[in-house]
Amino acid sequence: MSAEGGELERTLGFLEAMTLGGGTMIGAGIFILPGIAAQTAGPASSIAYAIAGFVALLAALSLSELATGMPIAGGSYHYVNRALGGLFGAVVGWGMWTGLMFASAFYMIGFGQYLVEPIPFLDGRVFIVGLGLLGLVLLLGVNYYGTEESSAFQNVTIGVETAIVLVFVAVGVFFIDPENLEPFAPFGPGGVVATTGIVFISFLGFEIIATVAGEIKNPGRIIPLSMILSVVLVTILYVLVMLVSTGVIPFESLGDSPIPVSDVAVTYLGPAGVVAIVFAAIIAAISSSNSSILAASRVIYAMGRDGVVTDWFNVSHPRFYTPHRAIAATGGVTALLILVGLEVEAIIALLAEAASFSFLVAYSLVHVSLVVFRRTDPDGYDPSFALPRPVYPAVPILGVGLSLVVVSQMATVVVVIGTGIVAFGVVWYAVYARGRVVSEGLLAEAIRGTPAEPYRVVVPVANPETQRGLLRLAAASAHANEDRGTPELVAVNVTPVAHPSPLQNVEADRADHQRDLLENARDVATEMDVTLRTRAVVARDVGEGILDVLEEEAADEVILGWDGTLGRDDHVFGATVDPVVRHAHCDISLVDLRDEAVGTPVALVAPGPNAPVVAHQAVEFATVDEAVPTLLNVQPPRGAGDSDAENRGRAVVADVAEAAGLDPDEYEVQVVVADDVGQAVVEATSRYDTVCVGLSGRVEGPRIPFGDVTERVVQDVPSNVALIRGS
Amino acid sequence: MVRIGDLTILVPVDVSEAEPPVLDVLDHLGAVEVVLLGYFPVPDQAEPALLRDQYGPGAADRLDAVADEHGGPVEVLVFTHDRESTIDRIADEYDCDAVLTAGRSTVVDRVLVPLRGDLNLDRILAVVADLLLAGDETATLFHSVAEDADPSQGELLLMGAVDRLVEHGVDRERVDWRLSESGDPRTDIVELGAEYDLVVLGETEPSLRERIMGDVLSDIVDALEVPALVVRDVE
Repeated sequence: MSAEGGELERTLGFLEAMTLGGGTMIGAGIFILPGIAAQTAGPASSIAYAIAGFVALLAALSLSELATGMPIAGGSYHYVNRALGGLFGAVVGWGMWTGLMFASAFYMIGFGQYLVEPIPFLDGRVFIVGLGLLGLVLLLGVNYYGTEESSAFQNVTIGVETAIVLVFVAVGVFFIDPENLEPFAPFGPGGVVATTGIVFISFLGFEIIATVAGEIKNPGRIIPLSMILSVVLVTILYVLVMLVSTGVIPFESLGDSPIPVSDVAVTYLGPAGVVAIVFAAIIAAISSSNSSILAASRVIYAMGRDGVVTDWFNVSHPRFYTPHRAIAATGGVTALLILVGLEVEAIIALLAEAASFSFLVAYSLVHVSLVVFRRTDPDGYDPSFALPRPVYPAVPILGVGLSLVVVSQMATVVVVIGTGIVAFGVVWYAVYARGRVVSEGLLAEAIRGTPAEPYRVVVPVANPETQRGLLRLAAASAHANEDRGTPELVAVNVTPVAHPSPLQNVEADRADHQRDLLENARDVATEMDVTLRTRAVVARDVGEGILDVLEEEAADEVILGWDGTLGRDDHVFGATVDPVVRHAHCDISLVDLRDEAVGTPVALVAPGPNAPVVAHQAVEFATVDEAVPTLLNVQPPRGAGDSDAENRGRAVVADVAEAAGLDPDEYEVQVVVADDVGQAVVEATSRYDTVCVGLSGRVEGPRIPFGDVTERVVQDVPSNVALIRGS
Repeated sequence: MVRIGDLTILVPVDVSEAEPPVLDVLDHLGAVEVVLLGYFPVPDQAEPALLRDQYGPGAADRLDAVADEHGGPVEVLVFTHDRESTIDRIADEYDCDAVLTAGRSTVVDRVLVPLRGDLNLDRILAVVADLLLAGDETATLFHSVAEDADPSQGELLLMGAVDRLVEHGVDRERVDWRLSESGDPRTDIVELGAEYDLVVLGETEPSLRERIMGDVLSDIVDALEVPALVVRDVE
């Protein structure tokens, strides 16, 4: 048998993650923006890069913890959606998507500038925009048709690109004229902060590592390592590039250039330097733009998975297997943004700032999400990289604070555009997503704090056909025990994994299961007015997984579905159910739902330790359809004409009901007097919709005993059957 | 680690292809454990989970169909960006000694075993011994002498290898050997392979040149029309 649907291979190692993160970051941001940065902050623009790098590092720290806790596609969007619910999920999802399109357009215009400027007769905006569009079309074509295992090629190009920038810096420091660095901050701190908002785009990319977290090997180690290291190294590189640029050329003339780094290089590296820098800038623009398009399609995938956008985008190409619709949609809007460059002079700074805005908002919400995750500590969130104290409260607090400061200094038009995108996300949620999104978020729980002692009923669910019935029974049980605690349902789905491996992505399976579970289970929970939690567990064996959850949850009761067969393949009830029945320490109901309706239950009672539990369970199940259950006792006559049998039966029922704490108006009594007890039980119980029978005796050793009567009920009664054992 | 009498082979199948591969050879290997790996190649552009959502059930059905045709071996289905690393991982997890590629053979009577040197020799011979003990085919051990090497070295290698197989319990009459002095092992193996039903090759760590210019082994495997059993080099 193959695993359900197949395994997902993790294929990205440390080097791939670093080149992905570094390659996306080192892009047009450092080749184009030094000019604009010099114009607005002077030589102190290196400080702006350092601040932007610090803001990025804070985000990288929070994202690292979240990504190792949930290594699954989607990045920031996914964490915010989980923590803060569908509304914020939609805002961040749309913000990231549009932000990536802004960034992609920005890179391609930068690509056009670096191609056009060195060639005198090719001057003009039309050429820049045209070349940008051409580059974009080529990228879209490649991504539409799909590539396989191109990482070796990427490693080489990004290595060459980085080497060129390193040479530029290493040689350039000897040509710095200290006079150029005076005055260091001609536009004051305000200018530096405003510049930070523009150059922040140069750091987009580290997050791609979190966006593809589902494909990274040993995510617990490689995600934080590559994310933090790439941000730190790139920040140092940028600060040096900016110092060299403003040190070699006076910042006033640097500010006039659309290709500043190349203009700096020509002064000390000559024409060869210009060629090298132009080459590096082009490679950088292409690789950054490419990564942005790919990251966008992963964000769309994650949004489609959660129901925030239509799954239509996520139909992959029948032959190339690429998410061609997502790629085409991203590319189409990016092309429009590039075309805006024909009309708008300052397009490059606008695009950069708008993309920065989107991501600063997203990262602020990521910081908040981290706090929410820490406070609620939900199941399945078990990050292998956790920020130590006092770094923990400091990082999210500083992160949100600094992001707000940077955003506050942005150009009005950018704030308007950015706020418009946020508003679009809100409207989108209200109009489209609200009915479809299943994520409620943990925010309410984080604010409320821990609830009072619950009465907890665990329901393992796997089969969509029966899970509804099981959940309804469980909800009824939980409700009927309100006097023992706040009713709470825990729906569990166990994903069996034969060989758990850090090279395999099981997170995605968990997410898929959880989504189906949530959708179905939530309806039932609302209907029955009961708190529901879901748990998706990965374990070698389903039975073991269920036992672990029962233990962790300190469950009061478990309701297990079962297919109604006995004694097959060396198992009593089945390979999954047997270990649970054998080892669980709570009340167990094994339910074979043969009919959707629970209807009127009957409990078969005879003197014994189990009987009160069975009787009580029948009363609990009866609440589903507001019926009154019957407690049935069958008495064999003691000799011919035994007139006392009926009374003896009634006495047994009365004793059991009292032991179960039932009022006489909560049940009906039926006593049957017959010689053949088994036959009588079958005939009497067949008239009811659901039969509750005790699972006799305590289980010791490998055998699970069940009586002859139980066996006959299971085999001969057509109604729903519940086998019940007290703890 | 040399194991005798417990041969497990991994059979990778591309489940994105509608046409199932020719794996008749599987039915003629005798009592050999088979792990059937269905892999679905995922382009860089797509999240593996995306393709699994869409093609998972179809791919599982295809894999089941292949498995049903060949005696219901263990099945694994993986969605991967990187076929090679998936084959490596699954082979490790299921303790496979060798990886089988598809080819046109319908029976397995004659097995060709090219040997290069002492590298990986123990493992190759252990797999060949297991194969011969599990079925009733005959094997030809083959060595192609390098251009300026002494042919007697090759003879020694082959005769020693035959002895080892006999030590493992293989009937001496089922094993012969051939030596070639053409100096071109690749052509020799591809040409000679056409006369056989199965070729057993040893996997070696690719050299730097092979990494850049392409792997000689996969080149040979691609050129062969008959199935190849590539013995893994675990150390």
